[in-house]
Amino acid sequence: MINAKKPVWLIWIGMGIVCLFVVLLSLSLGQFPISVSHILQGIFLQDGGTSAAEEQAVLWNIRMPRTAVGFLVGGGLAVSGTIMQAVFLNPLADPAILGVSSGASLGAVLAIFSGSVVLGTVYMPLFAIVGAMLAVSLTVLLAVRHGRVKIMPLLLAGIVVGMLFNALTSGLLTMGTNQQLHQYLFWTIGGLDYRSWDHVYIAAGPIIGCICITSMLARHLNVLVLGDMEAQALGMRVIPFRLCVLTLASLLTAISVCVSGNIGFVGLVMPHMMRFIVGSDHRRLIPAAAFAGGVFLVFCDTLGRVIVPQTEIRAGIMTALLGTPYFLYILHKRLK
Amino acid sequence: MTESTNIVLYIHALSAGYGTLTVLRNIDLTVRRGDMIGIIGPNGAGKSTLLKTIRGFLPIRQGVVELCGTPIGKLRAGTFAQQAAYLKQHDGLLPGYTVRDVVATGRYPHLHWWQQEGENDRRIVDACMQYTGVMQVADRDMLTLSGGQQQRVLLAKILAQQTPLLFLDEPTAGLDVFYQEEILRLCRVLCTRGKTVILVVHELALAARFCTKLILLGAGMTAAIGKPAEVLTEENLSAVYGMPIAVQQNSTTGHLDIYSTPSSASGRDALLDVIIGKTGGADHD
Repeated sequence: MINAKKPVWLIWIGMGIVCLFVVLLSLSLGQFPISVSHILQGIFLQDGGTSAAEEQAVLWNIRMPRTAVGFLVGGGLAVSGTIMQAVFLNPLADPAILGVSSGASLGAVLAIFSGSVVLGTVYMPLFAIVGAMLAVSLTVLLAVRHGRVKIMPLLLAGIVVGMLFNALTSGLLTMGTNQQLHQYLFWTIGGLDYRSWDHVYIAAGPIIGCICITSMLARHLNVLVLGDMEAQALGMRVIPFRLCVLTLASLLTAISVCVSGNIGFVGLVMPHMMRFIVGSDHRRLIPAAAFAGGVFLVFCDTLGRVIVPQTEIRAGIMTALLGTPYFLYILHKRLK
Repeated sequence: MTESTNIVLYIHALSAGYGTLTVLRNIDLTVRRGDMIGIIGPNGAGKSTLLKTIRGFLPIRQGVVELCGTPIGKLRAGTFAQQAAYLKQHDGLLPGYTVRDVVATGRYPHLHWWQQEGENDRRIVDACMQYTGVMQVADRDMLTLSGGQQQRVLLAKILAQQTPLLFLDEPTAGLDVFYQEEILRLCRVLCTRGKTVILVVHELALAARFCTKLILLGAGMTAAIGKPAEVLTEENLSAVYGMPIAVQQNSTTGHLDIYSTPSSASGRDALLDVIIGKTGGADHD
């Protein structure tokens, strides 16, 4: 039973409160704790009030960009997952389904091996995006039959392309030096540590832009999930629309992966969870998933900073640790 | 209005099929405003194929299909959807869609891509839900409804499309007999108010009661076409269904009773002996 009768404003207020709480936690906790009052002074007072300069530096140069990247990446992955679940008519589809993540990983490895990484922050994300878009293009190309792109061939082509790109990545890694392997490992277990304002600038425009466009297309996604024939009967040009939203989802995943590495479960679990709270109407689901994805990733990152003293567990591991039980719960419910 | 301007759909010498398989051959049909046309015939006769072809889901191999004088191949997707709605049995929906969400998708062809439903659209959606009797479950998840309720929701959805022509592919499949009657009765009322309905239907007696015209398909060809009493004859039905079928008028209700009669030259008794185990069983003793 869904909750269309629940007042929507109550849900949004609830989400706002949770969001505020998680942001404050994220800015406050870590190896260098900052009190909430110092955070507020640091943000709202020009001279930082009574907080120390060191605290200000940590707040503005480390915690803030880290939290901002977390929100952007989490939101991007969750919206990408929502689109994939609508396109594949499957609540368990996730953003990696078209080989996007594998493509981005190959791009990242090529950036590491070509030495482009040392030239600047922007090169690795650039290589990752090119790799991701290459993988998606190849997937769609393999799935096209007589000008039509059907769901099952697309799914199978995504698996094949993912395996191919993973094999190429593994092949390159066997020839790498220890330092290159370490760099790749750091990338493959996604995380938000060492994220700077540069990463925020790279990710903010494309991710917010893609989420806004997807929100504008939400009503069309509601029609797409009725199935190809029903959508066509309602006047939708199904194939161009499907390719359009797949491009949006792939861009969102590629940009998210390129600034934070591979982070799983956010795109799978958050849209699914939000569907139970706000319903499946994409006009509510997309903003809710974006919001919840951001909050979830920032929360996982914060938890990873404090759960084991003197060390950090990367956000990519935390999302898997927290996402797996929920996934198993869904599986259990489905098998019942 | 003249006779020719009354023609909503004109089909001439139509052939169609799937891949290399030709399912329909040489179909002719003229549909006028206010008609309720029943497409009947045994399984595999090409009933749904005919409906899908004239809705533009399947390519036309040969022949002509015109909607209000325009060949359907020349209609834009949006224009076609403003002229004709199509109901099929829904096969799987993600959880979490309310009845209102589903019915509201019927307004899709009337909105620009950037538009959201306005007050007028909501009024139409509410009216359609009320007409089909699903208003009281408007905020319930579609997947929690019974088959009969889901079918009425889908009917409300295509009514919200506000098209002059409605295609219904087996709208009564899987429903109990009273829901079947109710769905067809709702359609009949719509036809008396100027809509045109073309539907695939298996229940011959119901088709006889509610349809103004029937087309009987057999092996992809037209076996008979005309008013129900002209089409539903023992000769026509026995030939198409490949078994003896009796047609009688019920003296109490005045409706047609249609039923199959036992085949005389069956040779099935010998097969029954094998199935039940009266012969051949001793070999395993």
